[in-house]
Amino acid sequence: MIHVQDKKTMLNQGVLILVYLAVLSLIEYFVAIAFDAVPILIVVLLIKAVLVVYYYMHIYKLSLESHVEDEGSYEYKTGTNRLGLWLFLVSDSFVFAGLMVTRMNLLGLTRPPLNQALGLLITGVLLMSSFFMNRGETLMNNGDRKGYLRNIMITFVLGLVFLLGVVTVEWPTAIREGVTPSSGPYGAVFFMMTGMHAFHVITGLIFLMIVYLNARRGLYDQKNYPVEAAAVYWHFVDLVWIFYYPALYLIGALLTG
Amino acid sequence: MRNKHPVWSGILLLIIGGVIGYGIGLGIEVLVTGVLNYSGSVPWAFALLFAVTAFFFGLYGYRGITRGLVWQVVGTMIGGFVITGIRAVMGLKVFGDFFFTEPAWVFGGIVGVISFIFGVGVVSDWMKWARGIETPEHHEDVPTWEKYFSVSMDHKVIGIQYTITALVLISVGGLFALIFRTELAQSQLQFLTTTFHLFNQNGPQIYNSLMSLHGIIMIISILLGVSGIMNYVVPLLLGAQDMAFPRMNAFAFWVAVPASVLLLMSLVLGGFDTGWTGYPPLSARAPVGVQMFFLGVFTAGWSSILGSLNILATVIRMRAKGMTAMRMPIFVWSAVATSIIALTATQLIGLSFQLVMFQRLFGMGFFDPSKGGNPVLFQHLFWFYSHPAVYVFVLPGLGVISELLPVFVRKPLFGYRWVAMSSLGIALVGFLVWAHHMFASGMNEYLRVPFMYSTLLVAVPTGVKFFSWVATMWGGKISTPTPMLFVLGAIVVFLMGGLSGPPNATVSTDLHLTDTYFIVGHFHDTIFGGFVFPFFAALYYWFPKATGRRMNEFWGKFHFWLMTPSFLVLTFGMMRIGLLGMRRRIVDYDPALGFDTTHLVLTIAGYLIGISVLIFFVNFFYSMKHGEKAEGNLWNSRSPEWQVPSPMPAHNYAIPFRVVGHPYDYGLPGSKYIEFISEPDYTHHEEIHPETKTH
Repeated sequence: MIHVQDKKTMLNQGVLILVYLAVLSLIEYFVAIAFDAVPILIVVLLIKAVLVVYYYMHIYKLSLESHVEDEGSYEYKTGTNRLGLWLFLVSDSFVFAGLMVTRMNLLGLTRPPLNQALGLLITGVLLMSSFFMNRGETLMNNGDRKGYLRNIMITFVLGLVFLLGVVTVEWPTAIREGVTPSSGPYGAVFFMMTGMHAFHVITGLIFLMIVYLNARRGLYDQKNYPVEAAAVYWHFVDLVWIFYYPALYLIGALLTG
Repeated sequence: MRNKHPVWSGILLLIIGGVIGYGIGLGIEVLVTGVLNYSGSVPWAFALLFAVTAFFFGLYGYRGITRGLVWQVVGTMIGGFVITGIRAVMGLKVFGDFFFTEPAWVFGGIVGVISFIFGVGVVSDWMKWARGIETPEHHEDVPTWEKYFSVSMDHKVIGIQYTITALVLISVGGLFALIFRTELAQSQLQFLTTTFHLFNQNGPQIYNSLMSLHGIIMIISILLGVSGIMNYVVPLLLGAQDMAFPRMNAFAFWVAVPASVLLLMSLVLGGFDTGWTGYPPLSARAPVGVQMFFLGVFTAGWSSILGSLNILATVIRMRAKGMTAMRMPIFVWSAVATSIIALTATQLIGLSFQLVMFQRLFGMGFFDPSKGGNPVLFQHLFWFYSHPAVYVFVLPGLGVISELLPVFVRKPLFGYRWVAMSSLGIALVGFLVWAHHMFASGMNEYLRVPFMYSTLLVAVPTGVKFFSWVATMWGGKISTPTPMLFVLGAIVVFLMGGLSGPPNATVSTDLHLTDTYFIVGHFHDTIFGGFVFPFFAALYYWFPKATGRRMNEFWGKFHFWLMTPSFLVLTFGMMRIGLLGMRRRIVDYDPALGFDTTHLVLTIAGYLIGISVLIFFVNFFYSMKHGEKAEGNLWNSRSPEWQVPSPMPAHNYAIPFRVVGHPYDYGLPGSKYIEFISEPDYTHHEEIHPETKTH
């Protein structure tokens, strides 16, 4: 596969991936509502994860600059920074995996009573934000600063909507349903998982703000790795939600009472 | 601020600061509670914070570490008062047993750590980058000792900072051990009695706190010691100018300092009686000190994670020309294996402690059976890190053994490939063995046998290392200067630790041995053999590289010959009474068990180890200034760092080298490991030096 492609191809690719992800998310949702088939859900979420890791987080770039010889050059250092970021994400994913283990251990194949429509909605919002992030990054790589700024702003707003959706709508809704942090394993797991994820969303928003403001100041014409870093981190937050959404909303039987 | 006797003014201010802090704390407590309690927590907490801060103020003035500590104290207070104010508004209880309530202390602790980071100035470059300001690639350090007390990005300076901090913590942890070992010398309670009161705790509670803190402080000091050696040595072995991420390297060190302060705070804030493992439900109702312990470990964990990330990136990206994977020094291989574990698994101890913290703060019942939680889950999460952690401790030490052995036997390392791969093997198998700590915990029984076999499997890669060491020594020209003595001691002691392992790994015998002194003897053998002895070997070996002087040979040997027999007596004695049924982690034992004599011997052995380490300290600090000069290739090593004069210049190798052979071909005529690239390309250096970086 050729990785460095022209602007139009890359943008189209982004749209295509968004469509794939949206369709897969809907499949996931309806499968869970209709059949309660965990293996299908796992297959679907793994496909989604691979799509995000490959096309949005472009993990293949890790092997791109191996031909660069000069260790003082920006290209070589970008390669090192890229490796460092990925190592950090590997490390970070162990926290999320640990919480997933906690969820499986405490809840097994049951799930907390949550508002399904709300869950699907905020999942869609986060997915859209990833799409715009990818679009913004592609535009920046092609020198379209205005388009980049516009898309990054949309990403930021969508991210903020997701965050507020979780913290100011979803949490109070859950509490009204009787799922409070101290009410039992459902509440504890739900608030811990969404809380840890929301914390990463907040840090992601800070990074987005930084690359937005710095780009407005005129940086990142040549040395634009920070844009890529913020993008990869943002997609990582989305990636975590790809696992957490089914874990919290879809997998297992709903226990009432 | 310059003064002629910084150490003395530091100590003077330490005392004055302690007294003032105690007085302030006493006053505050009287104001809040109306009771004059001389042994209470608050006066001592203030005394501790003020004394440490004042010491560095006298030593160094208001900059670097002093500024960090002042900010930490102020930040802790601000954070505490913010929560206290919120609680007052909400109509909750405002002050607790330890002045602040528990949430206020936790939030204060977090704010304190963040304040320290900003106060010490280790994030200032990142803050500038975030605002779009570029900073120079390198910052030049002042050439004096003062560079060690503020932020430096030189990996050698950071390595020494790590090492010194580790040595300070080792002496604190060792001091705690001597205190409770003294109480254990005889059955019945002698001085840690129930009428004894300090820090809001009575004698046995103090024993529990000291025992728990001995564990965790030693663990943190080992992590810092490991980072210290890796930081100093790995870039030198690779021929790199510095680590891949110099700023993150400094951050990883400096975040460990407030973590250490938090751990010490836990002692005065009521302590904690859970042991370093912090199992709920006990830790869910221990005093507020356990929260400081959780926070301290959590913070130190970041140091470990970011440090290992840096090591991995450095090894992958910054090797000298020609250094292919199979030409890397063994120490680098073991650093990689260690870093893989520390990078990933450390998150799980942070998570497990965080969940207990949240259970205490918000009533989230993760490990509370009455709320549908599962206490055994904690043990799974906890040991998923804490077992691999012992490989974090020992792998670099085993790497040091393999690195130094060929130098002192003048023979090639036997089975290089196997030794290199065995480090990775231990690291990977180490991820699959955690539940052998839980044979008696009530976990699912079908898990026992698989974990027994996976644990026994660790013996295979470890055995590879032993065979390699023995075969390397076989027929070699062995010379025994101090570093080599410690290498040999490490092999013997680690063998004892290894041989006492399988009885604990086998379910049938472990059910008898679990929670006895046999376990205590076993892991002290593994940690001394895998970390402490190699650590000392590394210090004696690379000390001339860092200072240009060598440590005194006689006192070095004296240190070894005093420590090794005392230590073996200590652990064998522990194993003996452990087999006979002596429980671990208890303040007292029944005289009818007949353990009094052995316990007395153990205490004497403990003190002898303490004296030997004290001798080491005197030797270490004396030799820095007055040791015999050693600027050349003192050990006649093939390693690149010894081919340039000592002490190492600021940016390491002025002339880069390329690797042309195998690292350990000692005694093979005509073999060459590295050659310096004869015409140094200085234009390249001048080009990158003023260049700035935006990250």
